[in-house]
Amino acid sequence: MKPLPQRSVVIVGGGMAAGLLARQLVHQGIDTVVLERGGDHRAEAAGRIPTQRDELRWDIRLGLMQDAASETYTLRRSRPEPSRPMRRLSAFLPGTGVGGAGSHWNGQVWRWAACNMALRSHFTARYGQDAIPADMPLQDWGVSHEELEPYYDLFEKLFGVTGRAGNIRGKIMPGGNPFEAPRQNEYPQPPLETTEAGLIFKATAEREFGYRPFPSPGANSTGTYVNPDGMRLGACQYCGHCDRFICEANAKGTPDALLYPWLERQAHFELRRHCQVLGLDYDRAAGRVRGVRYLDLITGEEYLQPGGVVVLAAFTMTNTKLLLTGGIGRPYDPVKGEGVVGKNFCYQINSGISIFLRDRWLNPFLAAGCTSTIMEEFDDDNFDHTGLGFLGGGSIGVGVISGRPINARRLPPGTPRWGTAWKRANAEWYAHNCAIGVQGSCYPHRENYLDLDPDYSDAFGLPLVRMNFDIRENERRVSAFCTGRAEQIARAMGATQLGPVVPRTSPFDTRLYQGTHITGGTCMGADPATSVVSPRLQHWDSENLFVVGASVFAHNSGLNPTGPLAALALRLGDDIARYVKNPGHLS
Amino acid sequence: MNLPRDSGPSRREFLRHAALAAGLTSVSTTLWGTEAAATPSQLPPVESPATGYLSLGPEEAAFVEAMINVLCPADELTPSGVDCGLAVFIDRQLAGAFGRGERLYLRGPWRPGLPQDGYQLPMAPEQFFKTGLAAADAACREQHGRSFADLETTVADSFLSALAEGKIAHSRMALAEWFNDLVYPLFIQACFADPIYGGNQDKVFWKMIGYPGLPAVNGLNMVKYRGKPFPGARHPKSIQDFS
Ligand SMILES: Cc1cc2nc3c(=O)[nH]c(=O)nc-3n(C[C@H](O)[C@H](O)[C@H](O)COP(=O)(O)OP(=O)(O)OC[C@H]3O[C@@H](n4cnc5c(N)ncnc54)[C@H](O)[C@@H]3O)c2cc1C
Repeated sequence: MKPLPQRSVVIVGGGMAAGLLARQLVHQGIDTVVLERGGDHRAEAAGRIPTQRDELRWDIRLGLMQDAASETYTLRRSRPEPSRPMRRLSAFLPGTGVGGAGSHWNGQVWRWAACNMALRSHFTARYGQDAIPADMPLQDWGVSHEELEPYYDLFEKLFGVTGRAGNIRGKIMPGGNPFEAPRQNEYPQPPLETTEAGLIFKATAEREFGYRPFPSPGANSTGTYVNPDGMRLGACQYCGHCDRFICEANAKGTPDALLYPWLERQAHFELRRHCQVLGLDYDRAAGRVRGVRYLDLITGEEYLQPGGVVVLAAFTMTNTKLLLTGGIGRPYDPVKGEGVVGKNFCYQINSGISIFLRDRWLNPFLAAGCTSTIMEEFDDDNFDHTGLGFLGGGSIGVGVISGRPINARRLPPGTPRWGTAWKRANAEWYAHNCAIGVQGSCYPHRENYLDLDPDYSDAFGLPLVRMNFDIRENERRVSAFCTGRAEQIARAMGATQLGPVVPRTSPFDTRLYQGTHITGGTCMGADPATSVVSPRLQHWDSENLFVVGASVFAHNSGLNPTGPLAALALRLGDDIARYVKNPGHLS
Repeated sequence: MNLPRDSGPSRREFLRHAALAAGLTSVSTTLWGTEAAATPSQLPPVESPATGYLSLGPEEAAFVEAMINVLCPADELTPSGVDCGLAVFIDRQLAGAFGRGERLYLRGPWRPGLPQDGYQLPMAPEQFFKTGLAAADAACREQHGRSFADLETTVADSFLSALAEGKIAHSRMALAEWFNDLVYPLFIQACFADPIYGGNQDKVFWKMIGYPGLPAVNGLNMVKYRGKPFPGARHPKSIQDFS
């Protein structure tokens, strides 16, 4: 193994979190290297017309995603069961290459409700000491919404986020999310156009139920935009090829469009592509990580990259894996309920109902990643949970984001699966349907955790991460409740026909895409007995090691995770800049 | 298979000139969807390509063609499945990276699981597809005394329904999973993927449903055609139209 010259900060993974934190470091003149296993997508077929618009290649065959043949994950739903690998990745889709999953995300950007940062305190204060079941290890994150607010604001400015504020410094604003925590500023750009389906949903939800839907905030640029670093976005063209696709029109806020090109122009920054990180060089006695071991995929040689600071920013799974393989921190033990690494692994509990409206032209192809219309009445603790028998909730909305015909076609129940009648139904309904969706929260369960699989390994000879996960009672109830609320609205929308109403339940189905929103495994918190990293994302056992990403979330909410992830990453950049100048435990 | 199609070259030429005129080095999306870009071709239609198979042998091809023509009969909406290129699509997918197991984790130990665990067999899709064809055809011969390719359409249709519903037993193969998880998705993809893959010839399925295909500049259309029929849906554009 070849040792290389020491760098001040070595970041593992070149995606969303890494780009944001590197941006803060480099602005403060700190020498930074990012090790990313993949290459650039933007300059290739994925980012160019006409090959960009290839549903089969990018969406169905997952051309931009992590290659499962090389590395996947295993699943078992209970401990006595043998695990099985997810031989195709489909439930969630980790990215690879510069920008990570952030290069082909939809761009929906949320600020989570303030209670999420201290959920255990919040629920016990509102519902009493016994409100949280014993098998639900909810915990406070050790950071407040107020501390994150300036970083949310910065992220929105860097990514040109569009939307309508719901709460500016305590004043509820019409047209925005009335449940959002107070914000200092309006969104940098106005919201995208609303779809026809969104208008119908909004009118129905307001008129029939008094709910307050609003346009989804997101990183699809409404106009031309220049961010604080001078990086530009063009206007979104509603092409319907957003999630799972690179935006060739440069209208989507992504790390590979806005962060890395800027970073690579600065001194003291290096993005080293095609470097597969294999492990951490950990000095247990000193409580320090000396550096990062990686395989250079271009030369085929292994290197050790020493670092003054090492940061794991390689998505939920790799972050957890590197700590487990490196023996850093105590692995979680579900029997004793002790240990921390792998703990509080959460997903999301999503469901949807198809809606067929014969006389309305819904034109699903006129859409973008963030042309959703959402309501928050039943998310988080925005409604009274007394007597409901569960905690948590979900966002509900009509998310018309694509009319891509392989994946986004819907047919009414009872349609034959082939033949002339099947074709007629396709012709009849394609432009006249939408779906109402629920994105449900997922709270931790004592038996939902990550560890290393003893039986399966990846292409580099390392064990696969094993998901010990199923949809537990609390989440089944959340899904039943929220899906029921969604059904009421769907019925009131004047549907000719509805699809089946199926709340999510166990067994967890690895075949269905349920969002790349997996969280936990390296929780943050103020107590080293229940968290891997401190509220400053500093490892409790290794002072110069930091972890960032949704892996530090102690639970998952009913909104996409990247907003809080980004705020934490930007804040971490400032914290590491402090650490580099003055090492020690950050408080 | 002889469907009229838009001719690529003239449009390509046009876009190249337009791009040069606009000072761009490559065709950019800013040109898309303009009136000029949609000018119909002046050249006579070209012969459609792609007959002959790479992966399928003659008996396999006979089964696949017969099946595809049941799944997609010629009617007022489209030509027959074979004429739409659907069998060619499937053949090319099997012969290519997908068929060989791209993005499929193929290491042991092997443990059969629940349907919710997804595919758990050591075979790559091409091999699995062909093993299933042989098993289904054997079951067909046992039941009807004939190969699937020789059944009358209505009998063939019922046989496929029985396959899909798990009513065709086989001593070793779960034929319903084979049909529902591999064959049927390939059929759907053949219909709706870009014609460059061999199926959906002449964008016939896109026209059928009113999917406009590639055009990208919908900033104004988003408002103009919100809640209204979208004219571009009648003339979908594919990769070839912009190559
Ligand atoms: C199709 C899709 C749509 C999405 N839409 C939304 C949305 O609308 N809103 C939202 O909030 N979120 C969305 N997400 C999720 C969002 O993309 C992620 O939350 C976000 O990218 C996570 O940031 P990250 O930095 O943790 O991981 P990533 O951005 O994925 O970056 C991790 C990087 O680490 C690299 N890496 C991993 N392992 C190694 C290794 N061993 N060695 C070297 N490098 C390694 C990867 O290649 C990758 O580049 C979406 C995701 C997908 C797939």
